[in-house]
Amino acid sequence: MKPRKCKTTKFYSKARRDYLKRLKKDKAWVLLGQIAIFVCFIGIWQLLADTGVIDPFFFSSPSRIVTTIIDLAKGGELWLHIWTSLYETIIGFIIATILGVTIAILLWWSERLRKIMEPYLIILNSLPKIALGPMIIFWVGSGTGATIVMCVLICIVITTISMLNAFISIDSDKVLLMKSMHANKFQILFKLILPHALPEFVSVLKINVGMSWVGTIMGEYLSSKAGLGYLINYGSQILKLDIVMASITLLCILAAGMYLIVSPLEKRYKK
Amino acid sequence: MTNLLEFKKVKYFYQTKESEINALENVTFSVQEKTFSSIVGPSGCGKTTILSLTAGLLSPSEGEIILNGKPIQKNDSRIGYMFQRDHLFEWRTIWQNIILGLELQKKHKDPEKLAFAEELLKKYDLYNFKNKKPRQLSGGMRQRVALIRTLVLEPKLLLLDEPFSALDFQTRLKVCDDVYDIIKSEQKTALLVTHDISEALSMSDRIIILTKRPASVKKVVDISFQGSSPLLKREDEEFGKYFEMIWRNLV
Repeated sequence: MKPRKCKTTKFYSKARRDYLKRLKKDKAWVLLGQIAIFVCFIGIWQLLADTGVIDPFFFSSPSRIVTTIIDLAKGGELWLHIWTSLYETIIGFIIATILGVTIAILLWWSERLRKIMEPYLIILNSLPKIALGPMIIFWVGSGTGATIVMCVLICIVITTISMLNAFISIDSDKVLLMKSMHANKFQILFKLILPHALPEFVSVLKINVGMSWVGTIMGEYLSSKAGLGYLINYGSQILKLDIVMASITLLCILAAGMYLIVSPLEKRYKK
Repeated sequence: MTNLLEFKKVKYFYQTKESEINALENVTFSVQEKTFSSIVGPSGCGKTTILSLTAGLLSPSEGEIILNGKPIQKNDSRIGYMFQRDHLFEWRTIWQNIILGLELQKKHKDPEKLAFAEELLKKYDLYNFKNKKPRQLSGGMRQRVALIRTLVLEPKLLLLDEPFSALDFQTRLKVCDDVYDIIKSEQKTALLVTHDISEALSMSDRIIILTKRPASVKKVVDISFQGSSPLLKREDEEFGKYFEMIWRNLV
């Protein structure tokens, strides 16, 4: 492969070579910019804290965050908090996605059901789900269960609505084509509607990664004995803001990690 | 020649929230086996309604539609339908698109049917694109794939709903020629709906002219040319005369 590649580059015109060079340069500049922002942000923050311009008690500092994380890890409790939040988020994410898509399929299947449910979907969509928090604690008790319910509530409505819109946006002639070839409703669903909605499904997954973290942290704020949301709450109550900042840092890393797992799907299934 | 399709005093009303619309008033015509017929008429006159009725996607309010001696049934399997756009499924390869109909009818493991599908692909120069995705093909090739997808099911009658209208003019003439060749060499009966008089003229043995809505048959014109392909027919000196006659009947 390699020698062949070299050979072909020789035949590239000057304009083509310039274009490729420019492309490479652009990419390098973007990456450089991204790294520069990160380094400057961390550096200035540290500098301001060290020189006493900002009070590290309130603003923490990168070095204090790292020390806090190491201390928490040594104590072993860090893993409990990370695992609890991760577990709640992933379970919530999976339940919300499966249930949401299933409801969307049912609503697609029956136009009448769709019309009946329409006002309720609108109300549920505009209702801030966090308002249900106290009720959830009464219903399922505090702890992991309540957090998962909160997480599901926050993700499920948007999943249902987005998927339903994707299902009914299908070109009606395509359905007619399937019918003219004697497809039954199951076949229309599995061979036309679902594959057609796959790109939208990937978008929903991406949105739900963010939303399920919102749900988890909200749920943990409300009532919990472990988790990063609990840690943030705890840190602020005992005025150890280093713990708060350390938890937020970990949250950033976890959310980004989950996003990175989902985003390759997008390249694969989106044109 | 025997009549493959007969419309006998067909009426069709469709309902909207505001009113009942009389789409077809009294439509009577016939299509002979192995011929190519076209329906032309002012836009919105109910041409597509006629195709939907023939395909059994709608049923007539009054009157009868007979195919090969028997009334049309719901989603009649003797009918193949080609739409304005090719509607190939982007997530399927060309081959998977072509056997879609077989798959839906659970015949995709029948070696005879599969061999027939392969033969059609080879015959119409698409075999090399078997494993490509639709977006890698040109508009004309895609329309040919759509036609083969229909032919694989061996329909008695092919319905064409302005199948070239989404193509640019150059491609259109070429695809029109291709599709015509395929239909003729497979000895299919076809019924085309179009608002393009020259397209209808260049392909058809018979042209059925409809009045504006509520539609009835205004005139049936039998066409005969020296030339054999749509492109050659367009050069025939009779072409202009036919064109003018049909055009006068449309306005």
